[in-house]
Amino acid sequence: MSRTTLKTAVAAIALLAAAPQVFAEDLVIGLRAGPDSMDPHWSTLGSQADALRHVYDTLIDVDDKLQLQPGLAVSWEAIDDTTWDFKLREGVKFHDGTDFTAEDAKFSIERIPEVTGPMSMTLYTKYVDSVEVVDDYTLRVHTKGIAPALPNDFTRLFVVPSETGMEAGNEEFNSGDKAIGTGPYKLVSWQPKGDMELTRFDGYWGDAPVWENVTRREIPDDAARVAALRSGEVDLINYVPASDYLAIKGDSDMETFVSDSVYILNVQPSVVDEEPQPITIDGEPVDGNPLQDLRVRKALDLAINRDVLVNIVLEGLGTPANQLMPEGFFGYSTELPTREYDIAQAKELLADAGYPDGFEIDFTCTNNRVPGDAVVCEALAQMWSRLGLTVNAQALNGTVFFPAAARKEYTMAMSAWGTLTGEAAYTYGALVHTPDEEKGFGNFNRTMYSNPEFDEVFNKGAQTLGPDARKKLYEEASFIAMEDRALIPTVILQTVWAAEAGTLEFTPRVDQETRAYAITPAE
Amino acid sequence: MFGYLVRRLIQAVAVVFAMSIIVFVGVYAIGNPIDVLIDPGATQEIRAKLIAQYGLDQPLWRQYFTFLTNVAQGDLGTSMVYNIPVVDLVFSRLPATLELVFVSVCIATFVGIPAGLYAGYRPDSAAARAIMALSVLGFSVPTFWIGMLLIMLFAVNLGWLPSGGRGDVASFLGIESSLFSADGWSHVIMPALNLSLFKMGLLIRLTRAGMVEAMQTDYVKFARAQGLPDGQIIRQHVLRNISIPIVTVFGLELGSTLAFAVVTESVFTWPGVGKLIIDSILQLDRPVMVTYLILVVVLFVLINLTVDLIYARLDPRVRLKGGA
Repeated sequence: MSRTTLKTAVAAIALLAAAPQVFAEDLVIGLRAGPDSMDPHWSTLGSQADALRHVYDTLIDVDDKLQLQPGLAVSWEAIDDTTWDFKLREGVKFHDGTDFTAEDAKFSIERIPEVTGPMSMTLYTKYVDSVEVVDDYTLRVHTKGIAPALPNDFTRLFVVPSETGMEAGNEEFNSGDKAIGTGPYKLVSWQPKGDMELTRFDGYWGDAPVWENVTRREIPDDAARVAALRSGEVDLINYVPASDYLAIKGDSDMETFVSDSVYILNVQPSVVDEEPQPITIDGEPVDGNPLQDLRVRKALDLAINRDVLVNIVLEGLGTPANQLMPEGFFGYSTELPTREYDIAQAKELLADAGYPDGFEIDFTCTNNRVPGDAVVCEALAQMWSRLGLTVNAQALNGTVFFPAAARKEYTMAMSAWGTLTGEAAYTYGALVHTPDEEKGFGNFNRTMYSNPEFDEVFNKGAQTLGPDARKKLYEEASFIAMEDRALIPTVILQTVWAAEAGTLEFTPRVDQETRAYAITPAE
Repeated sequence: MFGYLVRRLIQAVAVVFAMSIIVFVGVYAIGNPIDVLIDPGATQEIRAKLIAQYGLDQPLWRQYFTFLTNVAQGDLGTSMVYNIPVVDLVFSRLPATLELVFVSVCIATFVGIPAGLYAGYRPDSAAARAIMALSVLGFSVPTFWIGMLLIMLFAVNLGWLPSGGRGDVASFLGIESSLFSADGWSHVIMPALNLSLFKMGLLIRLTRAGMVEAMQTDYVKFARAQGLPDGQIIRQHVLRNISIPIVTVFGLELGSTLAFAVVTESVFTWPGVGKLIIDSILQLDRPVMVTYLILVVVLFVLINLTVDLIYARLDPRVRLKGGA
């Protein structure tokens, strides 16, 4: 070996030894889904918000339990029934060096209806009547009617500079020209379904993130994502599939992070007069719709063994649910008891209702929307067969399921629902309230459930600005709907992330977001 | 010859036209894409507005008519999910699929045909038996499973190759491809091998069968009697005579590999069109589905045409009807 090659070799070894420190500044994350566009006003998809949050800030932020936190707005208050004032953060810079002012926030709100796509962001601005700039750091929003949940809506309001221009479309954003925000990272590059490359923004107003460069790599295939982690190609993955969870958990080289998600699997019994898929006894359609009878709905509920669903069917990756939102959310009823499993009582109720020998019913659900949807569906069918029912369970692709569900073609269905805004109006207003186009409620009420008592309490809540009084009313509404078994919640799904053991600190979030700037190297 | 080409092209247009109707009706029957895409928090008013915005409230025939009018003006539509023209979207992903297919077809051809020739030339040798056993594995074991095994072995356990992705893309003579960089090759080799196994198995068996048959024919016997070396006989006579079935299968396989490399692309996170089409189907992104399927039809028509032309070149007895 000549002297020069020796020197090179020594240098190479020295470099290799130093390498871990170099790599520690970069983070590669493997994700099941990525964004659809770099335009933050294009889509409301969770994976979209998850990704774009690195580049853009929202007016209001949420913590890992979906409680409101200051974002670009430091405080907000309702000054009368139809006016909200937002105090904005001073000294915030965009990636191009310009200052953030109320003008930019106003532009961002007004831009949404102009550029949004099929997953319309207008649902976050539907209460906005007009926006007024009081001064550089005060934004005034006039609402259509009373809008107590406006701050919750603004947790998805990404802010872009007012120079962006209304006509800028997805292509300008995807190329990076217009992808300018105030967030902790600057966009380096992105392609549909490809890697999203980010680099740290030194002028960020908040705490500087640890990682200099972040790559968010889309790996939709579950097995491929796990393989990428095991081969060290990525540092962290989200959505660890249940089938790999136990193996990874038992592997001392790996570490898992588990959190409740906002997603709950709900059974939706249709209470229309004539059910779309007939309920039969010995092949003969029964008179009327048995699901209209509260005793039948209670019997279905009592026959569900939620502990079995959680511990056996979902491999421990779940929590029993007794209402449509996880604990701690705004409007979560603490009065509701834990749901019990009591097959004897269920049989009794069913006999009382006039079906001592049960009936035959179709039960439809999704098989690819959330982890565990198909297996829970099949398990439920078996649990109900112990009650004496004949259940024809059918797990369908979401592509087929959702349009048919929208046409109300299912007598009994199950799908996942997540309370993404962290409060009851979003969930109970959409799923349980009597369909009412004018008020914009009941838009996802697939069962046609309608209860004037519930509607009254809920509407009173929607018209109340004081948070404490509103919370009480929503809690009461939750209680009424759940006691009436408007829907039957089964389990709260959990989300699992995984990384190599001892490498990263990461606090999992209920909204399933993987925020690179909230991840730090392990001490 | 020219008349033949014209007729084939007219045929192609008719097939594409029929295909577009089938796809359109099929997607329409599944339901409204808005119901798949829409955010759960959206109100009826927002939903109605969106449906009108995308023209989904129109009757089927009018939606189809609008589509045809746009196509006539060279506009194949805009992806509902990405809001970029479908053509740009598909063509941004096509190079990745093409290079994967190119490498896998090369592996299949340059390993499969010689292996098949050998197995047919010395059918009783141990090596020939091993080749045949492997060829059976090649097309009877599912692709995704072999893919995962390859990843577990070469990426996870040995750490030699990356488990997925396309790697660095370099530019050469204005063409961008990962085949121009070492990193790119390290990424492409495993998925390409995975994708080639099925075709390799087929080629081995076809070549062997042809070879075994040809070796017993009179022309081989006479050639041997003349004292020609076996190598020359195989290259100049046998190979030419057994190529017709090989070319046919090769053409068909090339088409289906290009169109449906989706399993391999998913397992190896290869950013090609296969993954794009599956995602689009799951989201009912109608413009992408229609454009892609039409592209596939065009592709098959072109490949079949090429195969027919190669036939004529290989075997003068095959006459292209309509030629004169």
